[in-house]
Amino acid sequence: MLVNEIMRKPVTVIHPGATLGEAFQIFQSRGFRHLPVMDEGRLVGVLTDRDLRFATSSLSSAPRTVDDPVSSAMNSPVLTADPLDPVEDAARIMRDRKLGCLPVMDGSELVGILTGMDLLDALMTLTGVTKPSSRLEVALTDHPGELARLTAFLAARHVNIHSILTHAGAGSEVRTVLRLDSNQTRPLAEALRADGFNILWPMPKPWAH
Amino acid sequence: MGALIHRPEYAGYDFGPEHPFTPARLEMLLDLLRRLGHTVSPIAAPAATRQDILTIHDESYVATIEALDRGEARPEADQYGLGTPDNPIFPGMDLAARWLVGGALHGARLLLQGGERRVLQLGGGLHHAQKGHAAGFCLYNDLAVAIRAFLDQGWRVAYLDIDLHHGDGVQNLFYDDPRVLTLSLHESGHYLYPGSGHIQELGEGSARGTSVNIPLEPFTESGDYLEAFEAVVPQALAWFSPDVLVVQAGADAHFADPLGDLALTTRAFETLHRRIFELADAHAQGRVLLTLGGGYEAQVVARVWTILYLVCMELPLPVHLPTPWLERWRHLLGPDVGQDLHDLDTALPELTGREARTRRNRDVVSRLLESVRTCWV
Repeated sequence: MLVNEIMRKPVTVIHPGATLGEAFQIFQSRGFRHLPVMDEGRLVGVLTDRDLRFATSSLSSAPRTVDDPVSSAMNSPVLTADPLDPVEDAARIMRDRKLGCLPVMDGSELVGILTGMDLLDALMTLTGVTKPSSRLEVALTDHPGELARLTAFLAARHVNIHSILTHAGAGSEVRTVLRLDSNQTRPLAEALRADGFNILWPMPKPWAH
Repeated sequence: MGALIHRPEYAGYDFGPEHPFTPARLEMLLDLLRRLGHTVSPIAAPAATRQDILTIHDESYVATIEALDRGEARPEADQYGLGTPDNPIFPGMDLAARWLVGGALHGARLLLQGGERRVLQLGGGLHHAQKGHAAGFCLYNDLAVAIRAFLDQGWRVAYLDIDLHHGDGVQNLFYDDPRVLTLSLHESGHYLYPGSGHIQELGEGSARGTSVNIPLEPFTESGDYLEAFEAVVPQALAWFSPDVLVVQAGADAHFADPLGDLALTTRAFETLHRRIFELADAHAQGRVLLTLGGGYEAQVVARVWTILYLVCMELPLPVHLPTPWLERWRHLLGPDVGQDLHDLDTALPELTGREARTRRNRDVVSRLLESVRTCWV
């Protein structure tokens, strides 16, 4: 999944010479929280609603006013993403630097914007939670071919996989979470157990039946 | 007291011997009712027409089912959720599904005409079927077609879903319609199919507050379930004041069900069923249309739905199961069934973690009530 698949476009921008009052109007009427600041086709900063609130707060030592320019409150220089960056790279930059957005630049051209909300959308898509599905959680041994053995088992039963996520678990196990297009996950889990898989969910029922 | 709808053709909705949604469940149920001495002479409703189906479903989806039914190859079938392990393709599937829809629709018409107050359709309850997509054993959404028929006559409809699984198809189809209140109690979608039915799903626009979900922790038992039901359902119905109550009465929330993790007993089902009719009397002028639904453990579903039938018809519940019935179905019943209509008291042991589950279930209910409070005024 690349940045250009989940970024938003076109992008609403503002001029560094526009007033903070004008920026406020855009934030309020459009529901935005981030505005790239463009001067003669060049990205010169980003103004966030938080920047605006801090800069104009009466608690600030020198509060800005409605007529002050955007350039007086914006962040500059700006960290950006490339449209072909993997989403996880963009996420790491945003997390490390505590950024709410990354303008997406193709060369010197602003082609989109990526926000924390877009990353949450990406997480939902990656986990497959937006489609009717059930969740199967498996602890695989950290060994080549284990994931293939699991997916081959599902393929043989013609069960479609909406998503598959793996992450390191305790010790040498690999936690694997699948969302399956199946209303029969519990019987599937029992068959997988019989085949030697360590199924974390669905767990065996705590009663006999 | 109530009208019963069923016909032998319902057995044709059959995904094959390996599939859990087997028509043998209905045969066991009807046989149990007969052997308990009840003369069961159900109304044989006509099949729903193609036009009836199109009041809810996309034409391209219906045309795909019809083509697959004729044996035509359709590579795009799986895009419609067809030909999967949950929804296999079988000859006659279009008509088989239309028989079931026809029963629910006929039930709706009986209620609209005013001749009946309680209608029980012994079959159907295909609550997962979406506008243009088969899902979770459901091809056509019989409940939604019936609800549409009520709406067309200007009725407001409350839909109550006690199946183990979230009633996502019905909820989605009426998500922005303020004339339909959908209430679904189910095992939480954190793990279980279809994964939806969170308390934050409340309906859209002017319909906000008319989708209500009560997701319960895996291994939730009867006490918690009934407490959550009582905390939400009566006040929702009192607020909404429907003209009719439509109920999907799935039996898969029972502890012995092989697909789920809720732990209701038959005693809980009896209480639930009685409450449904009381609430229909109190808030929907006694008018209620019920279908069956999920339920995949042979020794359970016949007993749960027999209880539903007897409560609906205001007949006494016998203590024991008839020996001839036990003998006839022994091969499907297994060793656990006992001799009684109700579960054995010893069937479900004391479960660990009950206090934590109760606390989480109560939290969910109070968060739900907090967020609907501003809508239910």
